Amino acid sequence: MWLYVMFDLPVGTKRERKAATDFRNFLLDEGFEMAQFSVYLRFVESKEAAETRIQRIRGSLPASGKVHIVTLTDKQYANARIFTGRKRERGRGNPNQLALF
Amino acid sequence: MIGRVVEVAETGRHLAKDRGFLTVAANGAEIGRVPLDDVVAVIASGYGLTYSNALIAALAERGAPVVLCGSNHLPAAFLLPVAGHHTQAGRLADQAAAPKPLKKRLWAQLVRAKIAGQAETLRAVGASHTGFQLLQRKVRSGDPENVEAQAARRYWPLLFGPDFRRNRDMDGVNALLNYAYTVLRAGTARAIMAAGLHPSLGLAHRQRGNAFQLADDLMEPFRPMADLLVADLVNDGAETVDRTTKPDLARILTLDMSTTDGMTPVGTCLERAAVSLAQCYAGTARELDLARRVPPLLA
Repeated sequence: MWLYVMFDLPVGTKRERKAATDFRNFLLDEGFEMAQFSVYLRFVESKEAAETRIQRIRGSLPASGKVHIVTLTDKQYANARIFTGRKRERGRGNPNQLALF
Repeated sequence: MIGRVVEVAETGRHLAKDRGFLTVAANGAEIGRVPLDDVVAVIASGYGLTYSNALIAALAERGAPVVLCGSNHLPAAFLLPVAGHHTQAGRLADQAAAPKPLKKRLWAQLVRAKIAGQAETLRAVGASHTGFQLLQRKVRSGDPENVEAQAARRYWPLLFGPDFRRNRDMDGVNALLNYAYTVLRAGTARAIMAAGLHPSLGLAHRQRGNAFQLADDLMEPFRPMADLLVADLVNDGAETVDRTTKPDLARILTLDMSTTDGMTPVGTCLERAAVSLAQCYAGTARELDLARRVPPLLA
């Protein structure tokens, strides 16, 4: 399944910007990739793994701002339509067991 | 332990760490990234690879082995963390102090499980598997009659035909087996380290040059699963280790084994086996938890 993390964080003061950057970096350290600005996503193996990730995010939330976490099943994710400009982009699908480079 | 095996087989790749990702670059441009937490093993077999130290350290922190391979898909070296478990010192002491009779008993359990697994694999491909039960019963502590070899001599011709010879340096089916075993060995080494044991102190594999004796011991009962995987691929027309067969072979760690405890991926079975081995060393258990397969099988 897939985890979407969407956030709106205040960036008015230096301290808030720092908190927002820290949160963003935390998501990157956790293996979330940027889908759009303020929208990050990650593939997780199971419901339990998703719950673990969500709990970890909960423990690292910035003091203010709004964070949405959405889980999508593989099928729902595969049905997502992604456009860049007017061009439709192909979705990526689940990661393979073997990443061959 | 369901995760991803990262193999780098092309020339001139550069592996580095970027926040929580392993990144792969070719000619200075990034061509892919994998979350570090998802990596179960990195298999490096291409020429002219370069690595960043931060990446190697990050993989070690997560207990993911880095396997450096030769061109025949056999591992030349493993990089594993110094500390793998919170009571590692105690478990290592138990392991080092394990008396010989205990090691011989454990080895006999592994050989019996391997022979049982071979029979299951033969049954799964529809080949004759008579006599294996008898062989299994013949295994005594330490396997002094080398029943393991007797079983192997029957097993390979039944599985791959009378002309087949298991030879680590040959191509074709042998190379497919090498590759599947390499992934399996990496998974076993990881499970051993995660259980706080050291892969260099083996039970029966005692070549001084082999740093992964215990991994080679503990993976024995799981080899028939890899053999079954290869046999299925060969049936489907696979001949060489290439871009199409590698992803299938790398599935070995996530392959579901139907065991007496239900369906479990091979990777998880390896973890259980390693933990039960640590308990046997510590004297809190007598039997290894080896996840016996039950027919009918899912390949």
